[in-house]
Amino acid sequence: MSTSTLVRPKLDPRERERMERAFRVPRSRSIIGVVLAVAIFLWSANGAQFDFLKLGEGASNMGDFLLRMFPPDFSKIGLIMKLLLETLQMAIVGTVLGAVLALVVAFGAASNIAPSWLYYPCRWAMNIIRALPDLVIALMFVSAVGLGPFAGILAMTIGSIGSIGKIFAEAMEAVDRGPITAMESVGASKRQVIQYGILPQAMPMLVSYTLLLFEGNVRGATILGLVGAGGIGLELTTAMNRYDYGHLFAMVICIIVLVTIIDQASAIIRRKIT
Amino acid sequence: MSVVSTPAVTPRQKPIAEPLVSIRDLRVRYSAQDPFVLDGVDLDLFRGETVALLGSSGSGKSTLMKALTGFAPIHSGSVRAGDFDVTALQRGQLRRLRSQTGQVFQQFNLVGRLSVLTNVLTGSLYGAGAPNVFGTFRSADRKRALELLDRVGIAHKANEPARSLSGGQQQRVAIARALMQNPRVILADEPVASLDPKMSRTVLELLQQIAREDQIPVLVSLHVLPLALAHSDRIVGLRHGEIVVSGHTAELDADMLAPVYDIEEEEEE
Repeated sequence: MSTSTLVRPKLDPRERERMERAFRVPRSRSIIGVVLAVAIFLWSANGAQFDFLKLGEGASNMGDFLLRMFPPDFSKIGLIMKLLLETLQMAIVGTVLGAVLALVVAFGAASNIAPSWLYYPCRWAMNIIRALPDLVIALMFVSAVGLGPFAGILAMTIGSIGSIGKIFAEAMEAVDRGPITAMESVGASKRQVIQYGILPQAMPMLVSYTLLLFEGNVRGATILGLVGAGGIGLELTTAMNRYDYGHLFAMVICIIVLVTIIDQASAIIRRKIT
Repeated sequence: MSVVSTPAVTPRQKPIAEPLVSIRDLRVRYSAQDPFVLDGVDLDLFRGETVALLGSSGSGKSTLMKALTGFAPIHSGSVRAGDFDVTALQRGQLRRLRSQTGQVFQQFNLVGRLSVLTNVLTGSLYGAGAPNVFGTFRSADRKRALELLDRVGIAHKANEPARSLSGGQQQRVAIARALMQNPRVILADEPVASLDPKMSRTVLELLQQIAREDQIPVLVSLHVLPLALAHSDRIVGLRHGEIVVSGHTAELDADMLAPVYDIEEEEEE
């Protein structure tokens, strides 16, 4: 065996000195980056009229509002439960349809699966959907299919494609390349590579994001009701307009309980699958 | 230095003159601007032999394996694997070639969340038929996969997720997956680089045993010279994309293999 001497390329002395210091002077690009980030934040806060003093001044009004909500009025608990159930059903159907359609679009929007002629149109479609506010989508469907939960479900389904589709695509892009190589090496078809190489790896993320979508859709369903797209939202608006704060607070409490139960159930499912 | 390319004589088998894999004057480069990664490589692989491929990082070992399965852009030369002319294959034929070429990887490349059994069954994906769309495999395939797990000594872990196994166990699952393909040749690209010395020997013994029992060639790239000397019938040494040493393991020693490792140059890089 031939003998060899170990070659030891030198570290730049100035770099060495900098690395040895306990407290380092930040690089100029780091300083510029921080200054730039702070400047953008201040510019945005100013533009959005963010004002802590105003918040302090209005705190007493907020206190009044909260006081008027006590005690909660559960006299219409039957109606609240019925509407809450409708909200939950809307969220379930909207999430299932939305997740399935989002998965289909995500296959086209994942760069490691789709050809470029499909990749870009799918990404653009998701960007357009994401740019549309949920309430605008809901209004479109209310005018198309009339008032009621069906319009809300359709709005949630379409909205889900934009929001969760992108995350699904990125979850599939982030999988380990090794098993994909192995599948290609055994002569697997594209469908088989996706089915056995990509989906099993991405599944924990897909399920986790679907649960997140579901939680979001439960909350979203309460907002969609504001434009007549079903659920408890319309009753919330009516209670506020009638200054029926006790009833409003009872509904808020029920929504908090429902969202907490869903959150806990989601956490258990996430633990099981990851 | 001897530069020979004759079939190795294994203790149990007389050489069969017809190579299963035949490479002639193979030149590969990844783009027109790049130098050749493989430059004029000649190599034959015969039934029942284990051929160790030695060389420093970047010497072209992995590219040679990729060229045999149509994953590397062949510039010129010929590559024949069984009935296939690898240089002239269309997409469908490439899939068929790959389905008959077992591959074992350094990082095992198993799907960690899937069971050990399912990982082995993925070796039969080519031609798995319509039921496979629903994630099912034929009963005969499942039976065979379990038999192969018996063969590599992991059957008791068949129902466990692959990620729960040790590195050595995962590599044996990967070997079972390769065997599931009924391969005409097995290509193992640094299969023991992530394993401890004891497990490295176990895996290499298994590969050599498979080559002899199934009468297929096994091409295994390695970095550790003693392992190559202990677990191969023939050694081929690559340096800068050219074969600089080739011969029967019994006729070679560490000094004769020295030209394979350009240590000073490698460390300067």
